Amino acid sequence: MGNDILLASITDLIQASWPAAVLMLGLGTGFAVVLLIASIKLTVQEDPKVLDIYAALPKIDCGGCGFAGCTAYAKAVRSDALLLGKCLPGGAAVMDKIAEILNLQISGAGAPLRPIVHCRGHKSDKMFYAKYDGIPACTAANAQPLVQACGFGCLGYGDCTRACKFDALHIVEGLSTVDYEKCTGCAACSKACPRNLITMVPFVQDPMVTVACSSKESGKNTRAFCKVGCIGCGICAKQTDLFTIADNLSRMNYEKYTPSDAVNTAIAKCPTKVIVHRGKNAPADVNPAEEKTVVAS
Amino acid sequence: METRAKATFPGGVHPPEGKQYSQDRPIEVVPTPKQVTVLLSQHLGAPCKALVNKKDAVKAGQKIGSSDAFVSAAIHSPVDGTVKDIVLAPHPVLGRTMGVVIDTAPQSEPKKPCADKFDLKFSPEQWPTEKICQAIKEAGIVGMGGAGFPARVKIEPNPAMPKEVLIVNGCECEPFLTCDYRMMLEWTWQILAGIRLAAKASDVEKVRIGIEDNKPEAIEIFSQAIQSCTDLDIQVVPVKTKYPQGGERQLIQAIWNKTVPTNNIPPTIGVVVINVATAAAIAEAVVLGQPLTHRVVSVTGRAIAKPGNYYCPVGMSVQEVINHCGGLNESAAKVVMGGPMMGFAIADLSTPLTKTSGGLTFLTRAEVTEAKFKHQQTACIRCGRCLSACPENLNPTRIAHAVKHNNLDLAQQYFMSGCIECGACSYVCPAHIELTGYIKTGKLLVARTKKKA
Repeated sequence: MGNDILLASITDLIQASWPAAVLMLGLGTGFAVVLLIASIKLTVQEDPKVLDIYAALPKIDCGGCGFAGCTAYAKAVRSDALLLGKCLPGGAAVMDKIAEILNLQISGAGAPLRPIVHCRGHKSDKMFYAKYDGIPACTAANAQPLVQACGFGCLGYGDCTRACKFDALHIVEGLSTVDYEKCTGCAACSKACPRNLITMVPFVQDPMVTVACSSKESGKNTRAFCKVGCIGCGICAKQTDLFTIADNLSRMNYEKYTPSDAVNTAIAKCPTKVIVHRGKNAPADVNPAEEKTVVAS
Repeated sequence: METRAKATFPGGVHPPEGKQYSQDRPIEVVPTPKQVTVLLSQHLGAPCKALVNKKDAVKAGQKIGSSDAFVSAAIHSPVDGTVKDIVLAPHPVLGRTMGVVIDTAPQSEPKKPCADKFDLKFSPEQWPTEKICQAIKEAGIVGMGGAGFPARVKIEPNPAMPKEVLIVNGCECEPFLTCDYRMMLEWTWQILAGIRLAAKASDVEKVRIGIEDNKPEAIEIFSQAIQSCTDLDIQVVPVKTKYPQGGERQLIQAIWNKTVPTNNIPPTIGVVVINVATAAAIAEAVVLGQPLTHRVVSVTGRAIAKPGNYYCPVGMSVQEVINHCGGLNESAAKVVMGGPMMGFAIADLSTPLTKTSGGLTFLTRAEVTEAKFKHQQTACIRCGRCLSACPENLNPTRIAHAVKHNNLDLAQQYFMSGCIECGACSYVCPAHIELTGYIKTGKLLVARTKKKA
């Protein structure tokens, strides 16, 4: 008895709902056909090379190339091969890959660019005239004259650390310090610094040697303002022609650097210990006050 | 005489005036300092190149710096002496810039003000327009109200923008400062001579002198004085005492009832505005041929022993001024070049005076502590007081928050560049947000992005 009732109700259901089922099926088929036609007719022709380039890129959307992200850069570099070396985090490896995809011949891929902070003055090394308690940002502090005596050195309010998306910059005792393990070389920090202290340097070796100072003041003033400033004495330039002195400041030719005895002598002889190693394998920056060097008191 | 009493602009604030420290002290000549540092960048525009070398002997009034740029002003030595060095020197606004250090010759007499050489008989007829412009250019005169815009560029006739009216700014709305007030009282005829020369050079018939109504003596003395010039349509307009009444754009709105379009300069609506100190310098330059090397500086505030108005050579260091004024009190905590609203706190007391430094305000520790630590910055409560205080009808809190969150495009949409940086919004903010500071930072960031792009 019970089975009959169940059977009857199922038959009723089928009889009542078959037009709806057929209608839904018909609608579904109809839309499927429309979508099929649309997908064939309206296909966007993706350039396979753009996709390949995108696959080769680091996909971190740092914006260091000047485009809105890796997708935008992939399209741009496909249409203009001159933009080839713009991916700084990718460096030479990515550049080679893209060149291969685009069938380009490139000669001598450069060394990866990494930021170097051209200042070595920690808080205890610098001279201050007055106390600044305005907006805690470098751009604001730089607009106020003489927040610290040295008009060239790191202010330490961290505009660069806020610009860095990779947590690779930290303010250590009032000095911006790069963590080269995390750095991708996107150059955001060098754009953020109001004093243009951070420059992108080709790391032909790691560690790299640099003159960690930007002071164009006379040697006397530099000594008065900071214990670790370049006084432009020229001892390093006498050791090797990698160093040149201009505007009371020693500058290094990074392209030609190879570790040598002459460079090591220059580092050792620098009276204010301002020639230092920077990079992943660089020795830890020691406080010059602890080294017994001849500095202005 | 038509008087529109209480002519003013919408917005603004009423900070305590604080003029009592120095307003009754006559202008006093300071002895020549032993050394002056004349900065080569004392004006808006291209910095000058030094024309002298180390160890050269210079005479007072000799040109020591000039530039080929159009917007620039020549620099002159204020003293007799020898050039000690041309080095980086502390600048009140720009940090460290090149300056010429001059050792003063021994026993040199300080320059005296020359107001006694002018009287009511003065007439600008014997000076043709080109001669006036040439003299202003040679004397290196800049707007002495604070911005330092080269006066020549303002005053020279410009066929593209014919001028209709010359507005003379005697408001001195900045709290504490009294140098313009004292000049108006003591150098009335010299200022009037300068106004007439400037009016002739810019080819205007109408002159309006705007003076705030908290200086009744100055209004009175000028109302009397202008009766001597019958050939000009000249009026003294008392304006309401309110900050920033002495802002160029606010003064035009109050007196001439026209608004200068945002991001434009007054000549676009046919107005030229000069400060009374600039007028005095023009008279001195044209009639006596003396360049701008000295100016009146108000030394004021609770933290200085002898406040007053001093006639100082440009390039004298702040330390020397302090020494002359009897030193600082023990409570001194902050030195501001200019007034407390728009001035720049200076860090190094060897900073020299410039052509635009109208005052030195010495604040005590109690005042600074109250401003900085008693009133800690808190979150914006959306009260809108900054909007009603803004004399430029901007929305400071929106701009400041956009800058704070690094959204410069949004800040520019709210007309960040129209801000005159008067500080009225920061003054009224009940949450003590440094709105002007953020807007200034935003302007710097935009300038840098443009430069690097």
